[in-house]
Formats: sequence, structure tokens, C-alpha cells
Amino acid sequence: MEKLSKTSKLYLTFVMVVLYAPIFFLIFYSFNSGGSMTNFKSFTLTHYKAIFEDDRLMVILINTIIVALLSALLSTVIGTLGAIGIKSIRNRKFRNTILSMNNVLIVSPDVIIGASFLILFTMVGIKLGFLSVLLAHIAFSIPIVVIMVLPKLNEMSNSLIDAAKDLGASKRDILTRVILPYIKPGIFAGFFMALTYSLDDFAVTFFVTGNGFSTLSVEIYSMARAGVSLTINALSGLVFFVTIILVLGYHFLTLRKTKGVRN
Amino acid sequence: MKSMVRITIGILAVCGILFYIAHALNQSSGASGKKILTVYNWGEYIDPSLLKKFEKETGIHVIYETFDSNEAMMTKIEQGGTNYDIAIPSEYTIEQMKEKDLLLPIDHNKIMNLQNIDEDFLDLPFDKKNKYSIPYFWGTVGIVYNPKLLGKGYDFDNWNDLWDPSLKGKVVLVDSAREVMGVGLNSMGKSLNSTDSKELSAATDKLIKMAPNVKAIIGDEVTQLMINEDAAVALTWSGQAADMMFENEDLTYAVPSAGSNLWFDNMVIPRTSKNLDGAHKFINFMLNPENAAQNADYVGYSTPNKAAMKLLDPEVISDERYYPSKETRKNLHVYKNLGLEKIGEYNEYFLKFKMAIR
Repeated sequence: MEKLSKTSKLYLTFVMVVLYAPIFFLIFYSFNSGGSMTNFKSFTLTHYKAIFEDDRLMVILINTIIVALLSALLSTVIGTLGAIGIKSIRNRKFRNTILSMNNVLIVSPDVIIGASFLILFTMVGIKLGFLSVLLAHIAFSIPIVVIMVLPKLNEMSNSLIDAAKDLGASKRDILTRVILPYIKPGIFAGFFMALTYSLDDFAVTFFVTGNGFSTLSVEIYSMARAGVSLTINALSGLVFFVTIILVLGYHFLTLRKTKGVRN
Repeated sequence: MKSMVRITIGILAVCGILFYIAHALNQSSGASGKKILTVYNWGEYIDPSLLKKFEKETGIHVIYETFDSNEAMMTKIEQGGTNYDIAIPSEYTIEQMKEKDLLLPIDHNKIMNLQNIDEDFLDLPFDKKNKYSIPYFWGTVGIVYNPKLLGKGYDFDNWNDLWDPSLKGKVVLVDSAREVMGVGLNSMGKSLNSTDSKELSAATDKLIKMAPNVKAIIGDEVTQLMINEDAAVALTWSGQAADMMFENEDLTYAVPSAGSNLWFDNMVIPRTSKNLDGAHKFINFMLNPENAAQNADYVGYSTPNKAAMKLLDPEVISDERYYPSKETRKNLHVYKNLGLEKIGEYNEYFLKFKMAIR
């Protein structure tokens, strides 16, 4: 790679500072023993302690993680199979139509998706709560997984499959031994994208939570209305920390993979 | 393929463990009884230890959920799919919910502690005879100011003080038509429920004269502006004022004696309730003097519970900023539902006033 010039380095630093400063500002004040975001009195962990002592908040935090993991897992399975299905459609027009319909779901506003889910769930008679949130999250994650997996599939040469067929592989073997290993990086990328989408979604979740079941983003929103409490800062700090761990985990997974290839 | 299966199993295992923890936390936070009561309240608007106490006393498990606006709450209840047993809306929303038939009548025979509520706060126009609602907290609309930034002796006992030329560019108003128009009407000695277009127009003209003093018309950000001393005077609700004064001790609050708005948040039982008996028990529990006092102490708003007031710090009770004198209270009025058309007119006049500010 070419070395960066001084100006581009400066520009890069500037952009990074602008992007990260608000987050660090927020986390910095979560350690403030004074009550507000205005003057920093002294270092304290009481706000973090307050979170862990609040059973309700802990349950919400755990719920958020469960919903994120499960919805990411299920949407990855469905989305990957969907991508393989789209790829196998011969008729080009039909394939593009399906693909466009998939993309429309990604760009359409969350509010509309959320409202339509609310109407659907109440019509079908699903009680708002864990199930409704999980279903909604799976639904809006699937198109993202499809988009992440498809490029890998397109990259794969058809002759690989032909070769496998020639060597007597069954349909099942082709899927599990040829296609899936090849598109694995795409599947992982899709999984992590779905995970982060689910973790930070507010608009859709807002509509489908109820009966005491809530996720972190919705809860933080109703807390913020009553004034800025530093517990929110501490919570946001924790969420940021979890996200960093996820990104690092993804990074190491892919790193190990490329190393393995080199060896 | 093998690694993917392994990861899948790993994720499911983690979910299982988390499920177990969440379940255990839910159990420890309340009695494991089968009875469940779902409470829908504003964020940070109850002392959480009271919920635990209620669970211990009655064996009913409380599921607690929060909302951030009356409108959001009403939509959730109206749409269905939920079973809230208790909700705590503001008085104007109760009128709307009544119209939409979303509330269940409250059986007063089951609420023994109703006698603890100050009669002044019962049988109000938004809910005659308290058929559907029981007051939870109340407050006023008034003026928060910072004497340190203002210098000479302002006391804001009169709405007209806001027009004082020395306040140029120092006043912040809440972005709410009824509140601001109410200032105009009250300052002329008119009712804040006025439906007379001439009075409204005159009030707007008077408000426009205040324009040079207005620094901004904003929402919840008022709190931050006042705490950081970026503004010296603000029109706001007493609850918000209490939050500000807690953060910045230089601030103080006044309700002009000529009159102002009186607002309520009330406990109601939505039509979606599945545990009517528990809901009544909860209302009765919250009206218990000891519990009401503890809650008022935690939230910092004014309680309508006169038995609880005896248990509160006398310094708080005698503070006219939170508990105005009888005379001032006589001039405090609850907003009446004026109908869509009149509200539209209020909004139009408010917009006209906003246009005059630069």
C-alpha cells in the first residue's frame, strides 16, 4: 500500500476525532461523581453500580442480547438459503425483481416497517413481547444477510459445482461441502451486520415492544425524557464496549481465516 | 461447515444461559406468584423500592414498563396486543381516552385510601367524580429564574414582569401553544381556557410585544440551558423546574399569583387490564400515606395526598414553589378540552407569535 501523505493523514485524524469525540465525551462523563454533564467533579463507578443493582435494567440488557443473538442466527440461516435460492433462479428478469424487492425492504423507513408489524401482530393475535420483537428483528435482518451473502455467491465459479457433480457429489454434499464453505466469510459478515442492526434498532422495536418487555434502545429513550441521568451514559458506555468486543471478535475470526489460507 | 454448526450451538447455549439468568432475576425481583400486574408509567416516575414492597405485600408480580409521551402511551393501548393494568397519563389525555372508550371505571369501594387525597384535587372537570382516574402527582406552570444572572430583585409574582425591557434576550419559553398563550391570557386577567377569539387575538398582540425578550422557544432542552446558565428566565412546568433547581442551586421558581395552569398525572385502569383486582390494590397501595410520601420524596413532584404531606419534610411542604398557598391555588386552573377547532386556533395564534421572534 502506498504511504499516506501528510494532508491525508491529517484529514483522516480529523474525521476520526469528529466521529469518536461525542462517544468518548459521553463515556467520560459516565465516571463523573457530579450529577450532570457540565463539570467533572471526581472519578466514580457509582453509575455503573446503579445499573447492575437495577434488576429491571439488567433483565432488559439480557433481553436485548438474547434477541440480538437469536434474531441474527435465524435471519442468517434464512437469509443465506434465500441468497442461494435467488442465485439459482435462471430467469434473469425474475431474479432481478426478487432482488429489488429485497432491497426495497432495506431502504424503506423503519417507522413504516414497525407500524406495519404492529398492525400485523395485533391482527393475527400475537401478544406484544419477546416473540413479536424477535420476529420483527428476524424479518428486517433477512434482507441485510441476503445482500451480504450474494456477492460471495456471485464470485463463486459455477465450474466448482459442476466439478463436484462430476465427482458424484449429492445435492446435500454440494451445499454443505462446496457452497457453504466458500461463502462462509459472507455468512459471517451477514451475521454480524444482523447482530448490530438488532442491537441498535429503535424505530421498529418501539412499535412491537409491550407488556413489560423492552429493549435497551427503547428503554434509554424513555429514560432520557425525564432529564439527562448519568446512568444513561454508563449504559451507553457498556453498549459501546460490547460493540467493540463484537468488532474485535469479527476481526480475529477473519484474521485467523486469512492466516490459515496462507499456511 | 463443522465450525458453523459449532458456532450455532455455542450461540444457542449462550442464549439459554442468558434466558436462565433473566428468569432468575425476574424471580428474585418479585414473588413468583402467578398473579401479574403490568404498570405503564413515565420514565423515572416512581420509587422502584415501592414496587418491591407492593410485590411483598400482595404477592402480585409487577411488570413495569415506561413511556415517554402521552401520545405514545395511548397509541399502544388503543392498538391492542398489550395488557396494561395501570397507566399514568396527564389530564388532557384522560379526556381523550374517555372519548375513545379506553378506560375502565374505578371501584371507589376498593380504594379505601382515597380519603387521603386533598378534596381540592378531586372531582375536576376532566374526570367528574373521579370515575376513571385517581391523581398521582400534580404541578403548575410557572417561571424558573436565576437571580444571580438577573441582578436586582425580580420575584415574578406578576406575569407582566416577563415584559420588562431589562430582560432583553434572556427569556426561554417552552414550545407549547397552550402554555404560552396561557401566559398572554393570564397576564391580562383572562381565563387560560378562553374561547373568545377577540381575547386570543389581544393576548397574541400582547405576547408579540414580549418578542425582544425571548431568547428561544424550545422543548426539553430548557433544562440544560437553565442549568448551564445560558438563559436567565424560563417558562416551564414545576416538575421540570424541580429537576433544574436540584442541579443548579442558584435557580428558583415562582408561580405568578394572578393565575396559571394546574396539571395532573393520574392513575387509570386501561380497558386492556387483565387483573382488575390487582390494579385496584396497586392504586390503593400508592395512596397509602407512607408510600405516597416516599414516592414524592423520590420523584420530587408535588403529591395530592394530604395525609402523606404530614410525613414529608416540613420544609418542602411549606415551600410555596411546590405547594402554593390556598389563595394562589384558587387562581390555578386545569386545561379544559376546547375541541379540535379551538386548539387549532390556539396553535395558529402561537405560530403568529413565533413568527414575530427573530
